[in-house]
Order: sequence, then C-alpha cells, then structure tokens
Amino acid sequence: MNRIIIPIGPQHPLIKEPLSVRLLLEGERVVDSFLRLGYVHRGIERLAEERSFIQNIHLMERVCGICSHVHTTTYCQAAEALLGVQVPERGLFIRTLLCELERIHSHLLWLGVLAKNMGFETIFMYAWQYREISLNIMELISGGRVSHSVNVIGGVRIDISQAQSGEIELGLQKLEERSAQLLNFVQNDRSFHLRTKDIAKLTIDDIKKLCVVGPVARASGLDIDLRRDAPYAAYPQLDFRVYVLEQGDVWARTMIRLLETLESVRLCRRILSRLPHGSISVDTPRRIPPGEAVSRCEAPRGEVLYYILTDGSQNPARIKIRTPSLTNLITLPLQLKGLNMADVSVAISGVDLCISCADR
Amino acid sequence: MFFLGFIFEWIDRKLIARFQGRVGPPWYQVFADIIKLAVKEDITPLGTNPWLAAGLPLVAYSSVATAAVYNPVVGSTKYSFAGDFIVIMFLLSLPSLLYFLAGWICTGVYSVMGGNRSLLQYFSYEVLFTLALSGAAIASESWSLSGIIAHQVNSGANIIHQLLGFLLAILGLIGKLKRSPFDIPKAKSEIVAGPLTEFSGKKLALWYLSIQLQTVVGICLVINCFFGSWFAAGGAHRFIAWFVFAILVQGLLSLFYAIYARLRIDQLIQLTWKILIPLSLVQIAVLILL
Repeated sequence: MNRIIIPIGPQHPLIKEPLSVRLLLEGERVVDSFLRLGYVHRGIERLAEERSFIQNIHLMERVCGICSHVHTTTYCQAAEALLGVQVPERGLFIRTLLCELERIHSHLLWLGVLAKNMGFETIFMYAWQYREISLNIMELISGGRVSHSVNVIGGVRIDISQAQSGEIELGLQKLEERSAQLLNFVQNDRSFHLRTKDIAKLTIDDIKKLCVVGPVARASGLDIDLRRDAPYAAYPQLDFRVYVLEQGDVWARTMIRLLETLESVRLCRRILSRLPHGSISVDTPRRIPPGEAVSRCEAPRGEVLYYILTDGSQNPARIKIRTPSLTNLITLPLQLKGLNMADVSVAISGVDLCISCADR
Repeated sequence: MFFLGFIFEWIDRKLIARFQGRVGPPWYQVFADIIKLAVKEDITPLGTNPWLAAGLPLVAYSSVATAAVYNPVVGSTKYSFAGDFIVIMFLLSLPSLLYFLAGWICTGVYSVMGGNRSLLQYFSYEVLFTLALSGAAIASESWSLSGIIAHQVNSGANIIHQLLGFLLAILGLIGKLKRSPFDIPKAKSEIVAGPLTEFSGKKLALWYLSIQLQTVVGICLVINCFFGSWFAAGGAHRFIAWFVFAILVQGLLSLFYAIYARLRIDQLIQLTWKILIPLSLVQIAVLILL
C-alpha cells in the first residue's frame, strides 16, 4: 500500500504552537511518527545567568504562557531554600490560591482545545466562557490575567482584602456549578465517548518507563501528585483528594482534569476560608550565598523542577528547568502508532502540550 | 435564491452562535465575507491545471443553480417536467463529486486526503438522502416535484406518515453539505481544509457560494417533499408558512452542528449503512405495503 507523509506543524490549525509532527500514513492509519522540537527555543536558561535573582522572577514567569505562576513559585522556593528564609503563612496561602486558580484555568482551556480539535465547537465555546471566570478572579487579585507577578523571593507582593475575598467566593461558586456541568457532559455524552474512549492508550508500564507525570500519568493509574507526595507552600495544611483512573485513554485524561478542576475550586474556597492573618512576605538580601538547590512543584501538567546553582554573586551561576510537557511529549510516537488519522488530533491534544514550556 | 442563500447562511451562523452562548455576526457579515474573499489575491498552486482549478467551482455552482431553477420555492415553479425530482438529485450530487476532483487536482497531501474522504462519505450519505426523499415520491406515485406537492395538497403533508423519512433526509442533507458532525472531508484540525486547502480568492468564494446555494436548495427540496400541503395553496400566508418551515429545517441543521462531535469516517459509514439506511428502507417498505 502507498505510504504518504502528512506534516502536522510547525504551522497547522491543530496546534497553535510550533511543534512539528510528521506522520507516516498507510491509508488512514498511522504507521510511524517523527517529532521535532525547538521552534520556540528562547534560551531562557542562558539568559537567566545574565540576570539578577530578582529580574529572573519575571523571566521565569515567561517560560510558560498558561502556568506562569507555578514557574515563579518553584523558582522562588529554590531561592528561599538557598537563603534559608521562611515565608509567612499568609504569603504561602496566597501563593497556593493562585496555583490552584491557574490549574482551573489551564484545565478548562485544555478542555476547550480538545473539544475544538475533535470538531465539537460548542464545548469549546462553553469551556472558554467558564474559564473567563477564573481569569477574572486572577485579574481581581493581581491585576494580570495570565502573568501575575505575584511572587517575590520571600513571599508574595499582593495581599487579598476582605472585600476581594467575598467577590472571589462568588466567582468560585459559579465556577463550581459550571465545571460540574462540564463533568456531567464528559461522563454522559455519547458522541464524546465515541471519539475519546480507547484512543491513544498508555499502560502504567509505559508511563513508568517514559517518566510521564501529571494528569496523563494519573489517568493511566499511576498515583503521583507532588502536592501530596512532597508538599510545598500551604499544601501540608490543606486536605484534598487526588484522583486516579485506570483506563489510560483520552477520555480518562479528560475525566481526571475535570475532577481536578472541581477539586481545585473546592480547595480555593478552603484556602479563602482559612486564610491566616499576618504579613505576606519577608525581606531578603539581593545576593544569595553559594550553594545549590532543587525545587519541585505540581503544575497543571505535572511536575516542574528547578535546579539553581549559585556562586555568591547577584546572578545565578546556572538554572536548569525541567517541565512536564517535555516528558509527556515523548509519549506521542507511542500513542500515535496504529491510530486512525482522524484520532491523531484527539491524541495530540489529549496530552496537553505546552511547546513554549518544552522548548524554553 | 441567491439572496436566500445569504439569508440562511446568516440565520445558521446566528443560531449556532446562540446555541454556543455567543452573540453571533450581524446580518451583513455574510456579504462582507464573500466580498472580502473576492478581492483577495487568487493563487493557483503549483502543479495544478489552472483551467480545471477555475472550472470546477464554476461547474459546481452552475449545477446547483440549475437545480435551484427546477426546485419550486413556495410551492411553484415555471419549469416543471415529469422526472425533475431525479434531475435535481443528480444536479445536487454533482458538486460533491467536483469537490473530490478539486482535492485530486491539487498536489497537497491535505487536499488528496480530503478528496478521498469526501468520496468515501459520498457513498454513505448520498444513498441515505436519495432513499429518504424517495419515500415522498413513492407515496405520491410521481417523480416530479410538482406532482409530489400536488399529492400532498390532496391527501395531507408527507411528514405526518414519514417523520422518520424526514429526519433521515435531514441527516443525509448534513452529510451532503459536509456540515458538522459529518464534516469529515474538511476536518480542520486534521487536514486543514480538505480539498479546498489550496484554493483562495475568487475560486474559494465561488466554492462557498455553491455550498451556500446548495444549503438553500436542499432545504427547499426537503420541505417540498415533506411539508407540501401547507404552503402550496394560494394566499399570502403561504410565504410565512414556507419561511417558518425553512427556518425549522435550518434550525435542525444548526442544532446538529452544535450538539455533536465530529464522527470518524469509519464511524460514519457504520452509522449510515448499519442503522440509517436500513431504517429508510423500512420507511419505504411501510409506504409500499400501506
């Protein structure tokens, strides 16, 4: 049978970011696929060595366009560990609140993208409409919808007033209702099941072998979540549920993300009700003593790891960032093999790729 | 007919927008889109026969326009002859074949894939659409549209005993117009725009116009076959009745667009051949036996 190569990307309606996937097709079936990365490499790790620790907070915020707050949180945690400072309770809670809001925003955005890519425009429209609520809340807190600039080394920059907290609560109530609607749809809609069930399956062995993290790993039955396994910020004082499903297909990934969205909304309300009083940050020196530190956080897509090496000057000697998208990207050729061409779009969007994270 | 195409396109977009919780475009947006396309640069892709590339949308448009002439709007047409039903069916299926050819003459992989898919899809919905509408022709024992309408005026609208046939015809029409959920040949997230990927400017505008016109002719055909009795009789109210039915059919098309995910080509073929076509045969069998 004739084999043809179909290029998806670097410019293609499927993925808005530049990733190149070349599919070797036999009829409508994918025989093999080739990944190519690096179209948005910005040299952030090198750039960070030229900037001071404080400037780097803003640089790290720009690693990812969706989970910007998690990146600065991880970076600040590493710097705080090197300095040996303790962030005040209230600061930690506000940090955590934004992390969770970002998770809601990221998951709803992803659901919209998935729905769009499988030709379900209506869900795309509704998911993004609901996502707007979370963006508005974030704007209310920090003034920024995507980049918040909330974190500083030693705490946070912005406090939440009583009036704001009431308004956030209202928004969260609305979000809870709407995400429950979406969850209900994903559980029950037949045409959605037709397109997502048993598509792009990953077994737990594949997951372990390829070091997959985040919702993709949890959808295949691997019970990992850094918020619970290696708690940071305010997570040790909060109780929440980590969802794990066994199926390992795109449907399970959707379910996991929506369940997490709902859990995050509940978590946000818990944080607001338990917000401790006191200061939000401590003063820290500009120079950081020599040493090295590793910090990890659970981003919406999985584990983010920062490694910082310092030599006592104003600038870091080396910063290494490991993002979840890169590890999850490696599973794509495995997932795509043997798929129907029509399912490729669902499989690729099912991983929730962030190419700007992966390339840095 | 030409303006009706624009009006229904607008109604469609407005309805879908409302279903999706959006506001939707203003009425002149549909005209603006076509005008904008028409003044854009017209690129003939490398390796394509320029005459064929220009001819295909032209033939597609003219065949739909010819079908529009024979298809009575509000129950009457000057041009009617025995067997015009079959001619209209043929003229309406021609654009789909040309659509496949459009994919074939382009050298891009997306176009060729889209063309192949549209041909595969052709064999599933075309049978369904024809069978579902034949129910109306069989009931009235006439293969001309004016005969079908006249029969309905005498003995009640076909929709009363052929509700199933009507719904199947709607599904066939969705496949014919390549609308979501049966928009497999032009699935944007997979093969960009299918056969039309390489077309631009005036040629693309002409393709869009022919699809627009096809929508109206299809809607007309369906309401002629199933709602004939209520607007064929004289009086001013028949225009209102016709318009109400047309909007109803358009509303169903928009509703299906909004509430289902795009099917895969194998799922579509299984659905049509295993469920829908047997159902339409049952409908015809019932009609013959009664």
